[in-house]
Amino acid sequence: MVAPVTGAAVELRGLVHGYGGPPVLAGIDLDVAAGRVVALHGPNGAGKTTLLRLLATRLRPLAGHARVLGFDVVRQAHEVRERVAALAVYGGAYGALSGRENLRLAAALRGQDPHAAAIDDALGRVGLAHAADHLVRAYSSGMRKRLALARLALADARVWLLDEPYAALDEAGQALVDDMMAAARAAGRTVLVASHDLPRSLATADAVVEIVGGHLRVVARPQRAAGVEAGA
Amino acid sequence: MNDLRAVLWVARKDLLQESRSKAVTVATVFFSAVTLGVLAFAFGENPLLLREGAMGALWVALAFAGVISAAQSWQADLEDGALEALLVWPVPRAAVYLGKLLANWGLMTALGALLLPVAAGLYGAPLGPGLLLLLLVIAAGTLGFALIAVFYAGLTANLRARESLLPVLMFPVVVPILLAAVRASNAIVGSGDLALADAWLRLLVGFDLVYAVVCLALFRFVVEA
Repeated sequence: MVAPVTGAAVELRGLVHGYGGPPVLAGIDLDVAAGRVVALHGPNGAGKTTLLRLLATRLRPLAGHARVLGFDVVRQAHEVRERVAALAVYGGAYGALSGRENLRLAAALRGQDPHAAAIDDALGRVGLAHAADHLVRAYSSGMRKRLALARLALADARVWLLDEPYAALDEAGQALVDDMMAAARAAGRTVLVASHDLPRSLATADAVVEIVGGHLRVVARPQRAAGVEAGA
Repeated sequence: MNDLRAVLWVARKDLLQESRSKAVTVATVFFSAVTLGVLAFAFGENPLLLREGAMGALWVALAFAGVISAAQSWQADLEDGALEALLVWPVPRAAVYLGKLLANWGLMTALGALLLPVAAGLYGAPLGPGLLLLLLVIAAGTLGFALIAVFYAGLTANLRARESLLPVLMFPVVVPILLAAVRASNAIVGSGDLALADAWLRLLVGFDLVYAVVCLALFRFVVEA
């Protein structure tokens, strides 16, 4: 059991999940204070995506519990969804809609103004202003990832769950992700990011947490920040 | 109010996609036209037999077209993880269902309105004074069908054998809707007994209400982990 972090933005206790075989997450504990950036590392199949999907309410724990900003991911899933934004490995956009239409849909379904200038700003920020009205099916994989980044920025969520945010992006796109994470930290957002890019994680994260064999441990604290405790 | 807005945005998304791909429109119109033509050919030249079978043929065409429509509407959601992303947003699951239902119902009703004069002409069936009631029957029948089709298409969307499982699972459930719709339509076009048609229509609306309550209550289990 880890020492609890007061007012943790993310709190896992004895969390277990699996897919029929040995558990992918074997009773993990994790506390992340608000405003921290935590990088999740581990080999393929270690459970990084599973952990992010549990926190995004897309999976249910087999045992234990997970809370985001104090809300249980199972019993208070809607409250959790109001406060998190997730970036998946895939783009998560509708191919027959344009980039702008996808962002308008996302904004409307999050209860935001779908006509706001913020949509144009977000598209410009991720370098998609020129392709805003093109159908997403004509986008490259990097452009789809940039569109997902624009949707993430628009969501104005307090917790970001990022799964391989650098995948498919060029150097400029990867730098954009770094900038967005730095801005998120400055704005007090909590970020959990699954990545295989350890040098980038050491440069951007407050703590690097490794998942191996279903267990969690903090392997580095590059920013020497408190507020991240892990165990199993 | 926000929930109603979410319903309309989900429906708008589906209809916008369909307006660009035309995948459902082309497949359902072509399939329905072939069905009506083949059945008319099978009934032969007996005008009485043709008239008696007109509404049955219309509903067979609508039913199979409805399966295509519902299955296709979920495929677009599965591409590139779009539905997975949508379900992380704080949108009520019932709004997702109702939005997809609205889009599918709209497409099926439009198809029904398009096929009705075609069937009437091909089968020599008089539409006459019961036309408004017949349109109501088509609206209620396609609503009941879409309620079930969208629910089961969502349930089977992630399965490898979805194309074969969807009709196997949904048709036994949708039979009461189809029977009531065929009876009501036949009463209007065949015997002109509008009172009988009205009774079947009321039963049809009753089925719609029951299915709507059940599907709305259960849908979150279809899309939740």
